[in-house]
This record gives sequence, C-alpha cells and structure tokens, in this order.
Amino acid sequence: MTLQTRGLRKAFGGVVAIDGADVEFQPGRVNALIGPNGSGKTTFFNCVTGMIKPDAGQVTYGGKDLTGRAPHVVARAGVGRTFQLCRVFPRLTAVDNVLAAVRPGGLLHGLRSAHRRDERERALGWLTRLGIEHLADAEARNMSWGQQKLLELAGVLMAEPDTILLDEPAGGVNPALLDRIGTLVRELNAEGRTFVIVEHNMDLVMSISDHIVVFDRGRPIAAGPPAEIRADERVLGAYLGV
Amino acid sequence: MPSASSRYLPLGAGVLLIAAILVFPSLAPNPYVLSSGVIVLNWAVLATSWNFVGGFTGYISLGHGALAGLGGYATGLLITKADLPSFVALVAAALLVAALAVPIGFAALRVRGASFVIVSIALVLILLLVFQSWSSVTGGSRGLVVPRPFPGMLRPEHHRVFFFLYGGLLLLALATWWLLDRSRFGMGLKAIREDEDKAESLGTPTFAYKLTVFVVSAAFTALAGGLYALWFGDLDPVFQFSVLTGSYIVLMALLGGVRNLFGPVLGAIVVGLALEYFKVEFGSTPLHLVTTGLLLGLVVMFMPDGVIPSLAALVQRLRNREQSSIREVTAADLAEQRRREREAANS
Repeated sequence: MTLQTRGLRKAFGGVVAIDGADVEFQPGRVNALIGPNGSGKTTFFNCVTGMIKPDAGQVTYGGKDLTGRAPHVVARAGVGRTFQLCRVFPRLTAVDNVLAAVRPGGLLHGLRSAHRRDERERALGWLTRLGIEHLADAEARNMSWGQQKLLELAGVLMAEPDTILLDEPAGGVNPALLDRIGTLVRELNAEGRTFVIVEHNMDLVMSISDHIVVFDRGRPIAAGPPAEIRADERVLGAYLGV
Repeated sequence: MPSASSRYLPLGAGVLLIAAILVFPSLAPNPYVLSSGVIVLNWAVLATSWNFVGGFTGYISLGHGALAGLGGYATGLLITKADLPSFVALVAAALLVAALAVPIGFAALRVRGASFVIVSIALVLILLLVFQSWSSVTGGSRGLVVPRPFPGMLRPEHHRVFFFLYGGLLLLALATWWLLDRSRFGMGLKAIREDEDKAESLGTPTFAYKLTVFVVSAAFTALAGGLYALWFGDLDPVFQFSVLTGSYIVLMALLGGVRNLFGPVLGAIVVGLALEYFKVEFGSTPLHLVTTGLLLGLVVMFMPDGVIPSLAALVQRLRNREQSSIREVTAADLAEQRRREREAANS
C-alpha cells in the first residue's frame, strides 16, 4: 500500500519543520529519506505515525486517510516504526518486549495469557531471526545498544506491519551490525515488507535503497533511484553547501 | 516460560495469606487487636486496588483516598436515603464510583508524571469541599452515621465478620491483579509503564487501557471504602477525603513493591501496623506523621523498588553467583537448553 502525504505542514512556534511536503512511498520498495540535520525528517515520521498532529495537509496509507489519527490507529493500519534514539521497554524481558506488540483484540482476548505457546514461539522466532534469542529472558535495560536496536525491530516485526519506518537504524552501531541490519532490511523487503528509512550513513542508504527522497528545510527537493540522487546538484548543494 | 520458583512462589504466598486470614481472628487476644486486623486488611485492599493503576501503568495516584471516601459515602447514602439493604448498597456504590471514574479518569489520565499526581491531589481537595459544604445531603462536617448491617451483633463478633469480609475482598482483588498480570491486557499496561509513546506506536490503545484499569481500580477501592463505612458506621469528610489516606496507600505499595502481586499487602501490614503503633505511642502529638514521613523517605532512598524486589534480588544474587551475568551463558548453550525444554514439553 502506498504511503502518501499531500501538503503536509508542521511548525513549532516560528520554526517551520515541515513546509508543505508532498511525498509518496511506493509499496514493495526500500525507500530512504535523507537530508541535513534539522531538515524535518523525524518530524515527518512523527506526523505520519500520529505522534504529532500536522498543522495542515494529509497523510494517507493505501488510500485511507490517517491524518492526525492516534499512533495506535496508524500502527493497526499496518505502519510500524522505530525511534531515532532506540526505545525498548527497559524492565521487561526481551521476549516480553516482543510479546507486548501482540494485539489483544477484544476484551476476552485481552484476558488471555500473554505467554501463550504459539505467540511465545513466534516472538522467539523473531528474536532468533535477529540473532538475540539467547537474551530472551534478559531485561532489555541490561542489553547493549546494538542488541536493543535489534530488539526494537523485533517488536515492530511482531506487530506484522506492511510498512516499516526506521529512524536512523545505523546510528551508533558497529560495522558488523550495520551489515547485518542492511542484509536484514533487504531480506524482509524481499518477503514483501515496505521500508522507509531515515539515515545519515550514505553507504548504507545507497546500497540498500530502491528509491530516495531528499529533504531540505522541511520539503522534498529531489526523489529518485540512488544513482540519480548521487548525481543531483541540488542534493549536493543541500548536503555540502556548494 | 517463567521459572518454576516464580510460578509456585505466589501460590505459596497465597496459601499462606489465606491461612493467616482464617486463623488470625481466633488468635487475636482482644477486640482491639482484631479491629487493628480489620484496619490493616482495609489498607491491604486499598493498596492492592491502587496497584492496578500504580503497579501496572506507573501512574502514581495520591487521590485514591477520595475514591474510597466516595465509596463510603455512596454506600452510606444509598442505605440512609434510598433505603437499600446494606450489601446491595455496597455493590451499587462500587458500580456508581466505577461509573464516576470514567469522567475522572478521562480528565486525569490525559496528563502524565508529576501533573497526574497533582490532578489526583486536586480530586481529593475538591471532593473534601463538596462533601463538607453540601451538608443537606452528606451531613457536612457533622458527619454521616451509617446504620450497621448486623444490628444486634456484639462488637467482637462484628469485627470478626468484617475481618473475613475484608479478607474475601482482598483475595478477590489479588486474584484479579494476578489475572491481569499474566494477560495480554496486562502486558499492554506494563508497556505503558515502561514507555507510553512506544506502546502506542506498537498498536496499544494506551488511553483506553489506562482508563479501563483506572475504573477497575476505582471499583475495588470503592468496595473497600464502602465496607469501611459499614464497619465503622460513621463518616467524616475530613478523614474520608484526606490526602494523607492516598499518601499512606502509596507508601504501602512502594514499600512492599509495586510490580509484585503481594507487595502492597506486605506494605500494608508493615505500614498499617506502624501507623497503629505510632498512634498509640505518639497519637496526642503530630509526631506520628513525622515518623511516617521518615519511613517514606527511607523506603524511597534505600529500596526504591520495594522490599519484595529488593529481597528477591538479594536472594537471586546469593543463589546464582556464578550465573550473575547474562553473557556468561553462550547462545549455543541456551539454544540447546531451550531445544531440550521444548522436547521435554512435547513428549
């Protein structure tokens, strides 16, 4: 399903963080959203996922209007996200962090055990896939930064979103883990998940993305495949100031 | 799976608690001790009810005293004004307070952290003013006399009956807390406690969750307050709508441990007995408040997680010195161990 914004605008006092952004992310792709610090990428994510309400404009997902809807509504529509400074539930175990993403459905479903065998197996499956199964019963706060980033992703995946927004997945992780995250994104994409990735690491962005949108001062200034973006003069200007 | 000890420990503690409730009245040497037992159980129900909100969602309410007061007054008024039988009035009052908790929670749960604490205090103060000034209905500062449910009953027998009623209510509250603790709904609530925005972003309708558990908590709190009205027979707004009540409840829950089923009960026993003792010793002076304040300070400084988690951590440290670090077991070892567990479970 296509994730689309029309005329999206958000100002914080006098600072216009997003200034009329028309963006379209096609399904099935690994999309990247790049731009200098302060260009409005994270605010864009927050507007799309309902964490903050935009001042104007529209967010649609597969044609469904999600503008200003609560974050859990956006999540249930099939859009998952991670946070720039990775967020996990610190005093829950790793497996509970993942199980917390299970939707309870109605009231009676909500009273079912959170540790049902099938759900637990599925949660352990995601931990295994991300290579942190051995930490299943460790509290998240005792895990390393890199492990927490993987755990955060496992939780998002457990909720079975069609589209996943990753806010700086490479931030503060070592090169080996960076490789693993890149590979993982490609694999998960091959299984049918759409990605939108905010990232400053250009090597990663250029190697895994199908489509790149460049933000500057709150609006897209260029969009296209990596090769095209790399050669775009406006992008070089925005990034390097030449 | 949770380890065997974590599964059987609550069961053992529950059996112990039931035995203690059954035996205590026959061991109590005099009616005063028995009435202290009723008061401690009242605190235990209040602290456990509070823990539905405090323990699961991490929202610290200082206003639960007011919900108990509402339960008490609603029970009393339904008996005196609407002529309902005592225990019908009690249940109706709890439902009424639960219904009232919807708009209260709707307003209060919009704010987090310190703001929520302040809103919850405001609730107590507003209700105090209302119940003091609306004297044509509530009796105002003169108080409200609630007729006894068992008119001919002698005092020691009366205490004994209410001790068991409170005991039953406590077990019901604990069973409900336990049920939520292991449920998906409970997992969502704990996620809210740990990181509310994150829980929202994973698809948890956090506001609906918070409101639901607040209503459940209010209903149990009102039942405790209503039972108190039936037991004590006399309500005064100054005591029913006191910020102190809410503070004691929080102190008890924190002392025992809020993320633990029996934490608030343990806290209620320790603090409840301490309160009775301080009142007997220093009751004529404000010193009993000072000693209680000191206790709260000590808990927050030295056992911020409460007694039960602190002791559990200590036991764990002593028992598993060799396995203290999560990195000392290799991934391969654990995978193997898990495979064996699965096979054992399947066979």
